[in-house]
Amino acid sequence: MIATMTTPKQKTAIETIDLSVAYNGKMALKGVSLAFPENAVTALIGPSGCGKSTLLRALNRMNDRIPDAEISGRVLIDGKDIYDRRVNLTRLRREVGMVFQKPNPFPMSIFENVALGPRLHYGLRGRALQEVVEDALRKAALWDEVKDELHKSGLALSGGQQQRLCIARMLAVQPRILLMDEPCSALDPISTQKIEELITELGTRYTVIVVTHNLQQAARISHYTGFLMYGELVEWGETTQIFERPARPETEDYIRGRFG
Amino acid sequence: MAEWEVLAARRDALRARKNALLTGAFGAVGLATVLLVFALVAIIAVNGAPTISWEFLTQPPREGMSAGGVGPMIFGSILLMLGAFVMATPLGVFGGVCLAEYGERSRLMRLMHASVAALAGTPPIVYGLFGLAIFVLKFHFGVSLLAGWCTLTLFCVPAIVLTTEAALKTVPAALIDGGLALGLSRWQTLWRIALPYALPGIFTGVILSLGRAVGEATPVLFTASVYYSTAETKLGWETLRQPVANLPYYLAEGYRQPGVVPERFIWGACLTLIMLTLLLNAGAILIRSRMRRRYL
Repeated sequence: MIATMTTPKQKTAIETIDLSVAYNGKMALKGVSLAFPENAVTALIGPSGCGKSTLLRALNRMNDRIPDAEISGRVLIDGKDIYDRRVNLTRLRREVGMVFQKPNPFPMSIFENVALGPRLHYGLRGRALQEVVEDALRKAALWDEVKDELHKSGLALSGGQQQRLCIARMLAVQPRILLMDEPCSALDPISTQKIEELITELGTRYTVIVVTHNLQQAARISHYTGFLMYGELVEWGETTQIFERPARPETEDYIRGRFG
Repeated sequence: MAEWEVLAARRDALRARKNALLTGAFGAVGLATVLLVFALVAIIAVNGAPTISWEFLTQPPREGMSAGGVGPMIFGSILLMLGAFVMATPLGVFGGVCLAEYGERSRLMRLMHASVAALAGTPPIVYGLFGLAIFVLKFHFGVSLLAGWCTLTLFCVPAIVLTTEAALKTVPAALIDGGLALGLSRWQTLWRIALPYALPGIFTGVILSLGRAVGEATPVLFTASVYYSTAETKLGWETLRQPVANLPYYLAEGYRQPGVVPERFIWGACLTLIMLTLLLNAGAILIRSRMRRRYL
């Protein structure tokens, strides 16, 4: 299967070249080459087990955590391979933030959840730290709801608020690329709508890559879409093109709901 | 359709009978356990309570131990415990962190885990003799508070290591992922996220092992104890090199030499020791629930 590569009109923020990932010798991702455009939302779609989460986790090296993961190929940011041995993981993850499927606020106050990153990475404290925290909470559209209870536990928030707290926590570290692994799948429809609006908003200033199993969501929030199946990139293009005029029959079948 | 209902009705009746039987059996066993513990405490309380007075709790023994109180023994027990707490907590927590962090990958760590588990089950008298051989004799600490601290520390550490490890393993992987994805180093993730999360569990382990240590006579038997002390308790550097009186040893010796210590004093000291450990545990529960209420 050969991926349909349309050249993005925008500058590339992060790019995979022939990226393969195997767990315990079983291939989860097979030779994916994909350039993610800067300051745009890219959705990764595909049936369960197609490798979309694996691809996402390869972009900030979260797969390093899995003992028997083997990774080959390259992932380039500004032309530099993030799998190079000299790469500083802390620096990489400062640049490439991540939000998970299930909100995972730390068991500390709302303020501390957001402050932890900038304090540890940039040594901020006092007024400067407060400003960064407020700014991140505003960008995550959570500030108005929590500004009077910043000392409260992050776990006391609702699921949707927790997820926005996790987004704020990520933004406070000042990343350029935001990875989101099915960020709404554990949330109710209203919280989902809020997060979707937020993603659209963030897409103007950040490079956002969202894994989703919700096709309508991909259609609503993304500028570009990649469709994966059996660990391979089947098709990639502008979201309107993928959804209205898919080039490949597999994509069409999936989009039309014939499987998956 | 009707046959299915007949079949199901038979099973339902059987299930209900089984349920009632098992509920009764478990209830009875549970009740028996509670009653046993309650009876134990009640007997000691009834026999010991008349002896308890301010004088008994604070004064040293007088008139050949037939009068006065057990003040120095209480003080000595608390002193022994505090030292063990200060020394054993960092060692045990550090050990637990090592096992939890590196435990599964390396064979050496698996061996360490098995050894620590074995040590946690080692009888206290073995620690007592080890302490005698190493701290009292080899290191020339003599029978002293210092040797007692070291021995009790060894006694407490394995249990603290195991509970710390277990507490750290309850930290959700999602939290660790969250920390790492934020760019925190492994150490920062451990220190800032995993340890605070596991703290109530670690704390419980520390208190439980201290509670056990304060009630054991054998680790301090040859390393730190004197039978009684009539002197006013003074604290100073020399205290470190002197033996201390303590409640478990007082109980053991006092009971072994009938006629010297009045029986009511034994009951009173028994009750005091139980109260001390209960107090310790109650304090632990209080602090722990506060910790939990804060952010969990």
